[in-house]
Amino acid sequence: MEKKKKTMADRETKDGQDWVIEAEHVSYAYEGNDEKALDNFSLKIQRGKKVAFMGGNGSGKSTFFLCLNGIRKPDKGRIIIDKRPVVYRKRELLEVRKKVGIVFQEPDNQLFSASVYQEISFGILNLGVDEDTARRKVEQVIEELGISPFRERPVHALSGGQKKQVAIADILAMSPEVMILDEPAAALDSWHTNKVRRIVDDLAKRGITVLVSTHDMDYAYGWADEIVLMHRGQLIGKGTPLEVCSDAEALKKAGLEMPAVLKLYGRMKQRGILSSDTMPPANMEELEDCLANAYERRM
Amino acid sequence: MSVIDRLCYQSRLRYVNAEEKFVYAILTLIFCVASRSFAVALIAFAANGILTVGKGGISLSRYCRLLLIPVSFLVVGTAAILVDVSEIPMDAFAFPVGDRYLTGSRATTMEALRVCAAAFSSATCLYFLALNTTMTDILDVLRKLRLPSLFIELMMLIYRFIFLLFETAGAIRISQESRLGDRNYRTKARSFGEMGSALFIRALSRSNSLYDAMESRGYDGKIRVLSQQQPPRKKKILMIAGFELILAVLTIREIWVRTGGHG
Repeated sequence: MEKKKKTMADRETKDGQDWVIEAEHVSYAYEGNDEKALDNFSLKIQRGKKVAFMGGNGSGKSTFFLCLNGIRKPDKGRIIIDKRPVVYRKRELLEVRKKVGIVFQEPDNQLFSASVYQEISFGILNLGVDEDTARRKVEQVIEELGISPFRERPVHALSGGQKKQVAIADILAMSPEVMILDEPAAALDSWHTNKVRRIVDDLAKRGITVLVSTHDMDYAYGWADEIVLMHRGQLIGKGTPLEVCSDAEALKKAGLEMPAVLKLYGRMKQRGILSSDTMPPANMEELEDCLANAYERRM
Repeated sequence: MSVIDRLCYQSRLRYVNAEEKFVYAILTLIFCVASRSFAVALIAFAANGILTVGKGGISLSRYCRLLLIPVSFLVVGTAAILVDVSEIPMDAFAFPVGDRYLTGSRATTMEALRVCAAAFSSATCLYFLALNTTMTDILDVLRKLRLPSLFIELMMLIYRFIFLLFETAGAIRISQESRLGDRNYRTKARSFGEMGSALFIRALSRSNSLYDAMESRGYDGKIRVLSQQQPPRKKKILMIAGFELILAVLTIREIWVRTGGHG
């Protein structure tokens, strides 16, 4: 009991927040490249949040993700995972990789085995669990993510969407506290995009902190608790979707457009269809309600 | 290659314990080669045919077409043993060519046929293994046989990425052809060279990304994965043992006769 209390107390830091990820003034440059991929980048993320990372190609999203996992070591600054600064030694790194998992953008760069089952078992075995536990976990994840119909097929015969599911299963089997998905919907058809999004929502419901990089503003606006805007390795915006989307300058800098919902909401207000005191809608359904209410009031 | 790969995933014998299939195929192959006996070759050929086509469910026409591939090698190889160029005609056959003969003796003809039969039946053994066992299962067996893990991991990665390599090469080719890269011999040669260098660079960057991805899952230089094998069945093991025993007896008899005949 006492131990439990202590861990609870542990989790609350000075500012009373439960930060699972903290980056302090992180800079990183790739070898032979003068421009920094990350430039004095600082960010804190609360446990259990859904965070969307947005910014053009080369804005540093992927590099930051690799730093969170200890794959890239910042040239300056430090990364703190779950209150512990990352120490770049084998055992400590394994601990970090257990807590933070990355689903890479290109499944063909992640899946190394031709067998789905072997593939999913790789990460969890590296954590040092015994075979029986690993087997149970692998089966469980296969079931949860709907991989059973193609589990016996070789990886090279799977479709892009199926490979993506396996790539997510790879990481989920390791039961991470933070799950990073680097452009999970890239190159997927809309059916698989929706499937992956459902899986992502599911992860968030389980209390896993989910970090997703995306170029889809409409999706990020509706889904995320927080949006992080990046540009040339720097943080140019962070906050709730509404806060970030109100910052027209930052959006422009990141090369992003306002979400369709907000655009329509703004126009409707301009034309006097929505009253000026209408609150901005969080998604299409809310906007629909606003409009329906406005219509009814006029009748 | 990709045909065999596709077929083995459809085989009805796919889920039979891989060690059983492996031991059966390798032992039978050894007896075929060691005995060089027609009887053993015939038995092995028949057994492999029944197992692959009958039990495995691969269509007969497809199996025959696959068997034709080693035949061309066999013909060339056997001809080298069969035919001799000599001034004196030998007892089996002799065709005059100028002042010499293309000729062969009864003994070498027999020998050539034996080698041919042994090689062909050995090929069917390997086909049985390849057409009914997936590569990942074969790797599991090799792992159990304590082959060096470096060797197995290399095979594993090559098997996974050779398809990607083909795919990438195919995509590059299409993009080159769509820009008339194959207009004449000069552009063809250039396109091919450029494809080679592009493939190399991509393979390199891909291997870097793969390494990152594996490291992010705690890779420490050794690939540990779970295998998914059916436990071996006593009945099957006994059947295999019985079958191999017959081949062993035939092989020993054959060798006995051969050495006994000379001494």
